[in-house]
Amino acid sequence: MSSFLLKTLTKKEEIDRIIRDTIDEVLVLRFGRCTDTVCLQHDDILAKSVTDVSKFAKVALVDVDSEDVQVYVKYFDITWFPSTVFFFNAHHMKLDSGTADHTKWVGAFHIKQDFIDVVEAIYRGAMKGKMIVQCPVPPERIPKYQLLYKDV
Amino acid sequence: MKKPSKKSEIEYCKVCRLHHDHGSRHKYFPRHKYLLSTFLDRFRTKIADVRFFLKNPSVLRPQEQSQNRVWCVFCDEDIVELGSSFACSKAINHFASSDHLGNIKQFLSKNGPAMDCIDDFRITEANVAKWEKKCQSLGNEDASSFKGSCEQLSGTSNDIHNKLAFKTMDKIENVPAHHINVLPLQYNTNEYQISHSELPGVAHYGSYLNMDASHLPLRTDPPTNLPGNGFGKHSIPFRSKDYPSNQEEENKQIKGSYSSPVMTSISSSHSSDACGNVHSGAPPPWLDANDGNSSNVQLNQSDMSSFQAKIPGKTRKLNPNRVGAAWAERRKIEMEMEKRGHAMNSKVDADWLPNFGRVWQSGTRKESRKEFEKEKRKLIKTESISTESEPVEIQPYISKRARRESGENGSG
Repeated sequence: MSSFLLKTLTKKEEIDRIIRDTIDEVLVLRFGRCTDTVCLQHDDILAKSVTDVSKFAKVALVDVDSEDVQVYVKYFDITWFPSTVFFFNAHHMKLDSGTADHTKWVGAFHIKQDFIDVVEAIYRGAMKGKMIVQCPVPPERIPKYQLLYKDV
Repeated sequence: MKKPSKKSEIEYCKVCRLHHDHGSRHKYFPRHKYLLSTFLDRFRTKIADVRFFLKNPSVLRPQEQSQNRVWCVFCDEDIVELGSSFACSKAINHFASSDHLGNIKQFLSKNGPAMDCIDDFRITEANVAKWEKKCQSLGNEDASSFKGSCEQLSGTSNDIHNKLAFKTMDKIENVPAHHINVLPLQYNTNEYQISHSELPGVAHYGSYLNMDASHLPLRTDPPTNLPGNGFGKHSIPFRSKDYPSNQEEENKQIKGSYSSPVMTSISSSHSSDACGNVHSGAPPPWLDANDGNSSNVQLNQSDMSSFQAKIPGKTRKLNPNRVGAAWAERRKIEMEMEKRGHAMNSKVDADWLPNFGRVWQSGTRKESRKEFEKEKRKLIKTESISTESEPVEIQPYISKRARRESGENGSG
């Protein structure tokens, strides 16, 4: 249901356009499938929070099953779904959440406030010139996963 | 060696309204000094109001006694004028008392500033004595003039505003309902509000009684533009220039009068007929101006363009050191040019990739992008090679021994 509320991107051009056209705001790109349950939970949180962060962030969903998008799936090293990547002024923002992968947020957020806090932390860090920020979410609410190198 | 600072007990600062353990250092803190100056200024205005009545004593009516009260911040007590016949008499006596002086000294020594401002917060006995004399003389005159003033004022008044105003003030319950639609507030509920209100109709214990009528904003306005709460023109107490000589008596009459908010009514005749309004269902003026085009344009815009940043609107200065600042400025200029219709080379290269720090690469982001492009090229090469080469025949494996034996068998 939340995919009706948020824009779903299926082509590389669309992703390029949205990255290039989002200026001075955080761009949140969710890579996942709209049929996956965890993705659905994640999308629900995103859809509910989009108005709260609308002044400093934009949210878009990317369908990983689309052929055109595979180049980004490889470029961003996405192996788990849903994965959320953050951009600011076409620059990738890293998030140190204590997990193995600082380049993205893997999994779903537990509550709206966690997502809003993360976006706010990224925005504040970006406005100060930081390219990596500390994750404000407490460790118990950060999803755990194993990061494998080329399926090893 | 520096002595470790002593940990003082936790105290409550009345000025800053917080608990602290700074001890005696607290009164030198800049925040405390600032709050203290505002704190004392507020009390100075209260004292100024009381001093007015010191110079101009006036009779306090019994029904207003409970309203006439002052909180003394130094003594932490509320001074209510119950049982006193003159306005602020108990307050004047309190501010002249030795207890109050002692409390002032204690407060100033604890909170600062210097003691030279003590006289701002107390009343000297000489002034009190003068005030008492004036009260005595007033008491003799008052009995005779009080009744006469009301009739005199109403008799000489040609101004219908004041005529009914005095009637309403004295017998507000008896005013027929058709004169006023809403009962105004009879008494001022907060002395602080009174002393700081700028309402022309309010007579309070403060300095506005000495206000020249020229300060009143509505002195020359025609009746249509009078302020009101929708009461109607005739029920508003209005101190006009017509009664400068009777100001003193007037003060007694309208003491404790209700406060009416200063509102100016705009004559709606010029706007009502032309365009209509919300109630008549007319469209709002901003839509009319664009002939409804802008609303259509908004609806027909593509979803992607809704992601465009609001560039012209944002005039606040952003941190020049923020992430991607240079890129953002360039991009804004490009978008501005595109909007104006300049032919820009806006086609994005299909191989464009954003700045991204990959997971399994070390080094700069440019290097990680180069590595990715290298990998992509390799992948394309291997794919093309595999499609171009001939199909390889798959044969079963024959071991060396078997090959040797078959060779020997063949030769032997």
